[in-house]
Amino acid sequence: MSEKTVLYVEDNEYNRKIVRQLFKTTSYKLIEAVDGEDGVALAQKELPNLILMDVQLPKMSGLDATKLLKADVRTSHIPVIVITSFALSGDRERAAEAGATSYLAKPYSPRELLALVREQLPES
Amino acid sequence: MEQPEIELEQIAAVVESRTPVRKLVRWVAGIRASVHTKLLAAFLVVTLLFIVMAGVSLRTLVGTTRQAQLLDEAHEQVSWAQEGEQALARQMHYTDLALLSQSEAAISKILRENNRFNDMLAKLETAGVVEQQQLDQVRASQDEAMAVVADIANAIRDGKIGTVTGELLRRQERLDGEISSRVGMLVDAQRTRMSRLRENVNDANRRALVLTSVFGLAAVVLALFCGFVISWSFILPVREAHKFLDEVAAGNFRGRVRVPNRDEFGLLADRMNHMTEELGRFDREQRRAAAELARLNDQLEQTSKAKSEFLANMSHELRTPMNAILGFTEMLIDGLYGDVPQALKEPLADIQMNGRHLLRLINDVLDLSKIEAGRMELALGEYSVREIVDIAQLSLRSLAAEKGLEFLTDVPDGLPPAYGDSTRLTQCLMNLAGNAIKFTKRGRVEIGVRLDGDQLTYRVADTGIGIPKEELENVFKEFRQVDATVTREFGGTGLGLSITKKFVEMHGGRIWAESELRKGSTFIFTIPLRVKGDGA
Repeated sequence: MSEKTVLYVEDNEYNRKIVRQLFKTTSYKLIEAVDGEDGVALAQKELPNLILMDVQLPKMSGLDATKLLKADVRTSHIPVIVITSFALSGDRERAAEAGATSYLAKPYSPRELLALVREQLPES
Repeated sequence: MEQPEIELEQIAAVVESRTPVRKLVRWVAGIRASVHTKLLAAFLVVTLLFIVMAGVSLRTLVGTTRQAQLLDEAHEQVSWAQEGEQALARQMHYTDLALLSQSEAAISKILRENNRFNDMLAKLETAGVVEQQQLDQVRASQDEAMAVVADIANAIRDGKIGTVTGELLRRQERLDGEISSRVGMLVDAQRTRMSRLRENVNDANRRALVLTSVFGLAAVVLALFCGFVISWSFILPVREAHKFLDEVAAGNFRGRVRVPNRDEFGLLADRMNHMTEELGRFDREQRRAAAELARLNDQLEQTSKAKSEFLANMSHELRTPMNAILGFTEMLIDGLYGDVPQALKEPLADIQMNGRHLLRLINDVLDLSKIEAGRMELALGEYSVREIVDIAQLSLRSLAAEKGLEFLTDVPDGLPPAYGDSTRLTQCLMNLAGNAIKFTKRGRVEIGVRLDGDQLTYRVADTGIGIPKEELENVFKEFRQVDATVTREFGGTGLGLSITKKFVEMHGGRIWAESELRKGSTFIFTIPLRVKGDGA
């Protein structure tokens, strides 16, 4: 299976639309989840190659979801890019603590996001 | 100093116990008179007692003198009686002699002695110290004796003395014994009287001594007692006041001082009670106010917490649509939705620029609100000075290049690792350098760093329009740009310097600006190489 799967966990429809549009120009397969619990379940089911995790999520925060995935042997190897709305000091540390591979502050530039994804998961 | 204190306490225990002394002290305290009057009355009582004592002593002295005089008189009277006795003895002797010698010569001597004796009787009679009956008896016997003497004299003259001698001798001898015994009794009576008088004098002296001692002692005791009672009638209210004031000082304003005094101390107690009532009122008001304040403070804290949470939420809520706006715009410009017609390129660029400006404004306002609410915390960590300067330069390089400005950095080699919040310090450098680029039309912008001891000095210098001297201090205030046209011409949020100043101060540093109009400005801030604390 040469197609690489990216899971985007984000509750805002427009932000998902941006990434959906952005990924149309690439070979990545995008799957989406709208809350933390949904995201964890989907990750465990689909085992994507990369996860984009928003921090502020309904039901379960992105950081907690990341911790759960990192604690699960099936998903612990998957790189996670954490996206936060609080571009505050300490967010980077908290993200790293939860086991995130990388960190992106919102609002992000789609260009930067794509560059970061390609860096973590090169297209075939 | 300890000893009298204890004694006072012991006396106080007695005075305050249920004894008559307590009743008396309270009674004296309750007299409706001034302290001055009470003291004066006590002194008058004592003085009066001394005057009475002096009077009694004087009277005793007069009595004693009189007794002594009587004694002297009695003494004289005894000597008169004795003289009389002797005269009588001589009279008897001459009578015997006249009888034996049968001569008239002795008769005149008898008469002389008789006269002396009679003088003595007269003196005693005048003094009135001998019973008249006794005197009359002596006189009767004497008259009889003188009758015998007259018979003797007649017999001698008639020459018949030889025949009557025996009879006359018998008569003479009988009378002799009678008179002698009567006069002896008289003398004895005088002696007895004298010794009785002497005893009287001794008694009077003793009485005087006792009386004077008793009065003197009584005066001293009364003086002491008056002093004791009066002084305690003053000490009691003072002690009560003392206890009461201690209680007031301990914060009990409900108590009242109760003293029996109706003098100045009573007035003082009334004033104290009034004052305490007022104090209590103030205290209650103050407590009410403090409680109200605490409640308000609580409310404020709740509000502040709510505000803080609101800010955190707003941060998310504002950035999410901003993300969409800026994201879609960028993808439009990047041609992800197809080629962009030439006519749309400029408005799309305008949307992007204004979107970014709005985002910066939102970030600054949120940062400042967080700082104002005291919710901003530094995330301290190791950082490289060169790295943060490079980040700032990289981010702003294109902006400077667009305006044709030189953009330089000057960081000495070999700086030791620094400790602080690198994100915030980068933000500070970007704010200052961003401003410098914004206000400079030609020339250059430079970021320089120097290490002095354990202090880093950052300098951001430009060759821009400069800042008037009187505005140098105001530039760090919120929404303060030199004038409104500057904002229109150069853009910016007007919050960057204010936030920068706050971050520098949170690091324990200082920021200031130096400038010359039309020559350029330099913003300088110093921070410790290694910031102390955990960033809280």
